[in-house]
Amino acid sequence: MELLQYSLRKIATGIPLVIGVTLISFLLMVYFGPDKTYELVGKNPTAEQIAEVRAELGYDQPVAVRYLDYLRELVTLDLGFSDSTGERVSAILARTIPISAAVALPGFILGNLFGVLLGLFAAFYRGVWPDKFIMAAAAIGMSISFLIVIIAFQILLSSSYGLNLFPVRGWDVHSIGDYVLYVTVPTLATVFVALGYNTRFYRSVIVEETTRDYVRTARAFGMPAGPLYYKLILKNCMIPIITRIMFSIPFVVISGSLLIESYFGIPGVGKVTYDAIVTGDQPILKAVVALTAVLLVAVQLLTDIMYRWVDPRVALK
Amino acid sequence: MRFLFLLTAALLIGCGSNGGPDPELAGLRVYHHSADGAPTSLDPAQSATAYANLVVINAYDTLYSYKYLARPYELKPNLAAAMPEISDDGLVYTVQLKPGTRFIDDPAFPDGKGREVVASDVVYSILRHFDPTVRPQGAWLWQGRVAGLEEWKAAGSDYDRPPDGLRAVDRYTLDIRLEAPYPQLLYTLAMGYSAVVPREAVDYYGREFGLRPVGSGPFRVTSYDTARIVLEPNRNWRWRPVDLAEEGYDPDTQAFTGIAAIDGQTPPFVDRLMISFITDSAARWNSFTKGNEIQYAGVPVELVDRVLASKNPVRLAPKYEARYQVVSDIEAGFVYSAFNMADEDFGYHPDPEQQARNRVLRCAMIRGFDWRRRNDSFYFDLGVVFPGVIPPVVPEFDPDLSLDSVTRDVAGAKRMLAEAGWTADNLPTMTYGSVGGVRSRQFYEQFRAWMMEIGYPREKIVLKQFATFGDLNKQWRESRLPLISAGWGLDYPDAENTLQLFYGPNGAPGSNSSNYNNPEYDVLYEQAAVLLPSPERTRIYRRMNQMLIDDCVAVTGLSRTRIAVWHREVLMYPSANIVGGFFLPFVALAGDNGILERAEPARLTLN
Repeated sequence: MELLQYSLRKIATGIPLVIGVTLISFLLMVYFGPDKTYELVGKNPTAEQIAEVRAELGYDQPVAVRYLDYLRELVTLDLGFSDSTGERVSAILARTIPISAAVALPGFILGNLFGVLLGLFAAFYRGVWPDKFIMAAAAIGMSISFLIVIIAFQILLSSSYGLNLFPVRGWDVHSIGDYVLYVTVPTLATVFVALGYNTRFYRSVIVEETTRDYVRTARAFGMPAGPLYYKLILKNCMIPIITRIMFSIPFVVISGSLLIESYFGIPGVGKVTYDAIVTGDQPILKAVVALTAVLLVAVQLLTDIMYRWVDPRVALK
Repeated sequence: MRFLFLLTAALLIGCGSNGGPDPELAGLRVYHHSADGAPTSLDPAQSATAYANLVVINAYDTLYSYKYLARPYELKPNLAAAMPEISDDGLVYTVQLKPGTRFIDDPAFPDGKGREVVASDVVYSILRHFDPTVRPQGAWLWQGRVAGLEEWKAAGSDYDRPPDGLRAVDRYTLDIRLEAPYPQLLYTLAMGYSAVVPREAVDYYGREFGLRPVGSGPFRVTSYDTARIVLEPNRNWRWRPVDLAEEGYDPDTQAFTGIAAIDGQTPPFVDRLMISFITDSAARWNSFTKGNEIQYAGVPVELVDRVLASKNPVRLAPKYEARYQVVSDIEAGFVYSAFNMADEDFGYHPDPEQQARNRVLRCAMIRGFDWRRRNDSFYFDLGVVFPGVIPPVVPEFDPDLSLDSVTRDVAGAKRMLAEAGWTADNLPTMTYGSVGGVRSRQFYEQFRAWMMEIGYPREKIVLKQFATFGDLNKQWRESRLPLISAGWGLDYPDAENTLQLFYGPNGAPGSNSSNYNNPEYDVLYEQAAVLLPSPERTRIYRRMNQMLIDDCVAVTGLSRTRIAVWHREVLMYPSANIVGGFFLPFVALAGDNGILERAEPARLTLN
């Protein structure tokens, strides 16, 4: 009951957040976003034809009316059609989000998993060479541009100049084997870059935890390092770890990775969103923004519940 | 770390090979090429880009098409049974359609069976450009030309009551009545805009029609997303044996491709046609050189020096020559910068004296522009610099025209400015608009450096960047910038298509973004517009071109050279120009024993 009440309260407080996010982003789109009109008119348009296109796009309506239409679309889940392709926005998202999630999830999971493990390892050897080596490697990973990493992995593993083990690009996935084939190089590139950031973050969290009194006490009682780190320290680090992981999820699921999807020719939501930004395809942008905001509220709720799960002292109030 | 390494190694070992043939494609002849951009819509009414046009003219039928190999470009009947009958006054075109052509099977039709294409479909397809709800982009081709279209639109775009100027006389006969002779009409009937669509499919798919082509062309689209489009031959299309002579085959320049092998054979020679949209040139080149994914691509500009052994003539470096064919093609279009003549600082001015000084300023800036270095810096010295706006690709091009307007003369430019009383203090600020990006910035920096050399203060050449081309285009269309730096791709091989860019009534927001308004030029344009190709028309075109040069309206121009490479196992003579995708129905894959051998899907030997 307490959980239900808390959830309802959290959802209710999330509504202003969604409205705020959608309003701000909508105003940004209207006043600073690209004007689609001149991409849709022909080579030699008349003023009348330009006015017709503006009317078709709804640009001739007052901003308040357009925003209310936006909210109505969200409530009715009728997200309209893409201004560029004419495809239903809901169909675009339904087609591309699973692809982006399938591409991003292995890298996301492995990047965080190895980040935690390396963070534990570095924290255990704090100040000595394994720690220094891992931190130096993390700094290198963080310093190299994601773009360079992608191109390097692509050339090394996929091209005729390198090992030529994987497809250069594309997404012809009909089986698990295909999936592994197409997702490996994007995953390796993602993990390579994410690992640096994750390892540094998790190491600092774990190192801070090792200074707590209960750790000193456990050591004094002769608790072995393995159980100490895995059973006590890691468990007590779970709140910041959960926070970092959970709040990344909306962006992994919805935003995808523009660079990965562009360079590997993967028809995911990241590429669709980027194209929508640069071409001013407002129906898609509005949907992505709203979906991200809703997902953030959901993740926030889920995160709070998980806090309680990992640490019963956390109160759902 | 070790675990990560082991996992990586396990994945690599587990995968074993570079994808291998897709089981679905086993035994199929697959032709696969790449494009550097993707179409946003495959609705012919919205096929404004080259990427869309390439697919549209293969998924749909047009009344006319371009001969595969003829250069200069030549039209031939496609869905039309023959070239049209034209009335003596040039006002009525009668086109007979080939009977028996059918749209592909699709749920949009009763029982899912495609019906026959008839003349009223052509009428419907063109009328869609005058229906605002379609968001059409091709109305400019026929507005003010075909009788009754504007009135039809004003009366509410009722497709059941077509205008008199566009009439299906019977099932296979189409009459087009013009308000004035329009010699370019036939070219417009070969463009993707005029592709024939069935009304049932438009009604059935509504806004999503642009994603689900239902045509009667040589191919049918089987899948389409932002990364790739897959087509397969429409087996019911009017395939017939290839007559290379009829297609304009020139053994002297085209025999190296090996396409003589398809003469007399009946296409289609492929079972699948795939086009991958790869915007990044490095990824595109990697995919191409790998060989089992892409068989035809352009050469990325950053790799030209590495890939080519010589630029004139274009020849591949030995490393590539053994594996690839290459062809270079001057683009049907050009890049240029036009002054906004409505801007009083640079163009027309109420005070005739100031207007004359502005002309001197424009002429001096044109003289300060260095086309040779522009060509060398950005087009690998492969572009063709020419004076005026009639590019080399059209028959009206004048090779003997003086090159003064495209030859840099800094001392002369300085002298002109001084004589007209222009000084660093009174020169107007030039706002240089461009889309954000490194290359655009480089264009600007180079332009500013050249202008500084003729005496323009650095701070008076100001960059204004826009997030998208649409935003920049809006500024041009609304005459808010003094200089329009653009590229123009010809819609048809006729200089009228570029000369109309400076025709007064086409002023902004129309295609004459420079707002050039010269009554004498307009009269000549109107005279030439109704003439069939002839020495007289060429003379008028060239006179108009000279007027633009004399009035210093634009810094122009350069036609870029496109280089295409393809694997030797592919038999074709591609063109990315006006003829666009008309080469695709003729593409063949060569196996060891002949073009029709069924090979592994697109798997080529690259030793």
